[in-house]
Amino acid sequence: MIKVSQLLKTVSTADGELEILRGIDFEVPSGASAAIVGASGSGKSTLLGLLAGMDVASSGKIWLDGECLSDLDEDQRARLRAEKVGFVFQSFQLLPALTTLENVMLPLELAGMSDAAATAERFLGEVGLENRLNHYPTTLSGGEQQRVAIARAFARQPRILFADEPTGNLDTRTGERVIELLFELNDRIETTLVLVTHDQRLAERCQHCFNMSAGELREA
Amino acid sequence: MSHSLSGKFLVREWRSGELGILLLALVLAVSVVVGVSSFVGRLQSALLSESARFLAADLVVVSRSSLQDDWVERAEAQGLTTSLSVGFPSMTVADPDHMALVSVKAVSDGYPLRGTLQWSSEAYGQVQSDGAIPPPGEVWLAPRLFSLLDVTLDDSLLVGEAGLIVSGAVRSEPDATAAVFGFGPRLLMNTQDIPDTGVVQPGSRVEYRLLVSGPPEAVTAYEEWLTPLLGQGQRLDTIEGAQPRIGNTLDRAQGFLLLAGSLAVVLAAAAITLASRRFGERHTQYVAILKSLGAQSAQISRLYGVSLATLGAGGTLMGCVVGWGLQEGFIRALGDLLPVTPGPAGWEPIVIGVVTAAVCMLFFAWPPLRRLGQASPLSVLRADIGIEESQRAGDYVIGAASIVGLMWWYSGSAAVTFAVVSGLSVVVGLGFFVARALLSGGRRAGGFAGSIWRVALAGLQRRGRANALQMVIFAMAIMLMLLLSVVRSSLIGQWQAQLPADAPNHFLLNLAPEETPVLEGFLSERGVPVEALYPMTRGRVFSVNQEALPEWREVESEDTPRQREANFTWSDTLPEGNLLVEGDWWSADDAGAWVSLEEDFADDIGAGVGDTLSLRIGAEVFEAKVRSIRQVDWQSMRPNFYVVFPRSVLESYPGMYMTSFRLLPDQKTVLNQLIEILPTVTVIELDIVIREMRAVIDQVARALELVLAVILLAGGLVLVSGVRSSLDARMKESALMRALGAGRRTVLGTLWIEFLVLGAMAGILATAGAEVAAWALQRQVFNLNWAPTFTLWWLGPLLGAVFVATLGLWSCRRVVSTPPVVLLREV
Repeated sequence: MIKVSQLLKTVSTADGELEILRGIDFEVPSGASAAIVGASGSGKSTLLGLLAGMDVASSGKIWLDGECLSDLDEDQRARLRAEKVGFVFQSFQLLPALTTLENVMLPLELAGMSDAAATAERFLGEVGLENRLNHYPTTLSGGEQQRVAIARAFARQPRILFADEPTGNLDTRTGERVIELLFELNDRIETTLVLVTHDQRLAERCQHCFNMSAGELREA
Repeated sequence: MSHSLSGKFLVREWRSGELGILLLALVLAVSVVVGVSSFVGRLQSALLSESARFLAADLVVVSRSSLQDDWVERAEAQGLTTSLSVGFPSMTVADPDHMALVSVKAVSDGYPLRGTLQWSSEAYGQVQSDGAIPPPGEVWLAPRLFSLLDVTLDDSLLVGEAGLIVSGAVRSEPDATAAVFGFGPRLLMNTQDIPDTGVVQPGSRVEYRLLVSGPPEAVTAYEEWLTPLLGQGQRLDTIEGAQPRIGNTLDRAQGFLLLAGSLAVVLAAAAITLASRRFGERHTQYVAILKSLGAQSAQISRLYGVSLATLGAGGTLMGCVVGWGLQEGFIRALGDLLPVTPGPAGWEPIVIGVVTAAVCMLFFAWPPLRRLGQASPLSVLRADIGIEESQRAGDYVIGAASIVGLMWWYSGSAAVTFAVVSGLSVVVGLGFFVARALLSGGRRAGGFAGSIWRVALAGLQRRGRANALQMVIFAMAIMLMLLLSVVRSSLIGQWQAQLPADAPNHFLLNLAPEETPVLEGFLSERGVPVEALYPMTRGRVFSVNQEALPEWREVESEDTPRQREANFTWSDTLPEGNLLVEGDWWSADDAGAWVSLEEDFADDIGAGVGDTLSLRIGAEVFEAKVRSIRQVDWQSMRPNFYVVFPRSVLESYPGMYMTSFRLLPDQKTVLNQLIEILPTVTVIELDIVIREMRAVIDQVARALELVLAVILLAGGLVLVSGVRSSLDARMKESALMRALGAGRRTVLGTLWIEFLVLGAMAGILATAGAEVAAWALQRQVFNLNWAPTFTLWWLGPLLGAVFVATLGLWSCRRVVSTPPVVLLREV
């Protein structure tokens, strides 16, 4: 599960300290899904970065699957991500130099798994890209690229999955297919899912929905 | 992270082409360093053996008396090869009406040990160089002796009491320069005939020359063994001692080649820095993704470390192979142009290549990659987060220090290193400051110009820091290329100035005053220009300030002042090519008893300005006061004198004249007619000497040009790397401009202006740096006179602008031929 307590994030600007997140508290139980919605600049992506241990909070605490992030250094947080966290990004973030298969294999290889290729192939099959194993990202459509990203995120069977605007760069129909895939895999693998989105339909599919506004979070 | 993952990573990276650029830069760096250093090494050994041909050996033992047998035995026991030559003047007689004073040289088997003896079977026939020498009982004559003595092949003539058969003509001797003052035309014979001539007796004027050659260590050991055993009238000749002009030429050529090699190191480092920076920048996002997937900083560092080490090892190996191929290609391409077979390059170039690669990898390639480990995973969510740049200054300082160390080691010369570092410091120091100032001023200027200019200059300013770095690297590459070109031109120019094409090649001594009109008439009738006539009287300095000087044989130390004999002359003006270092020159109507001394001569007799010398000419003694000390350019082909008086002092003494003139090869028989009408004069023929020296200078100059070409190529590749390093940002902006509706002309125009301004500024910086470095090099290393090269000040910026703009546009050509959406997705 995910637990956040009194989370504060400030940054220094030319005009003084700027509060981006103002004392955020929330919980997402294990295996549940949660959506964070809000306007641009409301602090959604900052919160996601903190939740994934990619940034450090000014104060407050975050627990991921029982581990307190503020007790961990950067490498320990990276290890935690490698073991327990998956990510799906708005801009897919596939490595252009690697094939579809290699992109999905990468987190498995980083974790030292011996059957990386077979696992990756299986998950690419799950997202319907078994015929595109040796294609490079630039030759795939946006929807296909996001499916590769979903396969990459689930291949490690993470305890927690973060998704940052997963349909933001896709048209409505493609977006819907990607949403279906995301929830289908989430149900099967029993991952805790946290989504940041503008997409109301996507938010409605989640068990919990939080509204982010001016650095404050409220359950909808 | 396992090594197998590093291996996979390397393979995938290789496939993407990203590593290819870094590998190319490394292979380029190593191959240029290995190529230039082995080429230089081989040329040096070739030039050294080339210089040895002026001695016809590696070392010559010269003696006025016959040489000890055990000296020859010792040389042979040490694995050295020897050959003997004996020189003496003698009268040769063909018949009672035809006789001539000749310079006899008797040689033994093996002569010459270095270089070749050229001969022909007729006076001016087909030249041969088959290693033959005159067999016993035969002689070869200088071509003009055939007409002087009225002999043809198979005629016989007398040398002393020996009757010898004429069987050939001597056309060129390698060690002709070693016997500059062997008067009279050459007669070459075999040493076995010397006893029969009866000419060589105790007390005769004979010069024995034991030629020695072999491995350098053995020659050095022999030299060390022999030096303490040398007695009176014996000496050792080495290339530097025997022919300082050639020695200087070779020293300077060597300095130039080492300079070129050092510049190759700097260029290599620049190319690697640029390639690695680009690699690092393009991989920031890559690493952020890896980190978001859970990779730790240490894993990332290990991943790139192993990849770089593998790449470094492979690149070094390839660079060594390519570099070796490069120099082998040069040598082969040169083929006949190279006068001698190049020597072995040895292992040193490989060691230099490996160390250069290691330094470049460690201090220039690694830092941008090491910093990748610090890339924030957050940049996968926010594209505006990059890597801190603040640590780079430290890397540059360490890198620069290691490159200076490498240059020092490589050139073996603190002066060369200092000169190049001075120039580079000017470029770097001024560069960032000037670049930033000009770029911001440029934008203001652009505000008043057309829209293309405005966009271009705004682009330059926006990437100010990156542009400043890029400009400095362009400037460094252009500076090094300009520097090498300037030094090369100046070296070759000054060599050629020492031996101008119309330099006199014959000297005439012992001309009586009443014979001067005869000579002038004779030469002008034949269209030979007459140079100045110098009065010449033999005399001796025997005391300074009434204090008698000892004779040289009574002196134990070389530093003790002693008597000296010299040819005296008079002159109203300071002789051409002389420099007053102390005192002043007398006026033409000055009747004072003055004298002017050459600086070394003044040292020998222990006299300075204001001292009174007592001198003797024949039986007459007189006094003169030292008015000035002169520096004389002994490298010039002009008559030079140690002791010069005002006309009033010397005119009353009996003396002879000397002069010089230039004869073309087909005018050589003029000498025979001259000797017939002026039988008492002595002619010194320097035409062969000058021709030989000019040949060496031409060959050295050609070698320098080749090395320059290699460095220009390396510099050009650095420029390409430099342009490529900023390509992504420029391509992205250009693609955006196109997406916003800008036409092909606008996009290309903007890029053209950006690169043009960058190139021109780099050219200005490069010119300033090149001038500073050229000044330091020419003063400290090459002992040449420095003068600002005004051409550089317009040529440098122009070349910079044209090169950088052309390369830039060529590299960005895809921007107008590829749809903007494709470009935006790629970069």
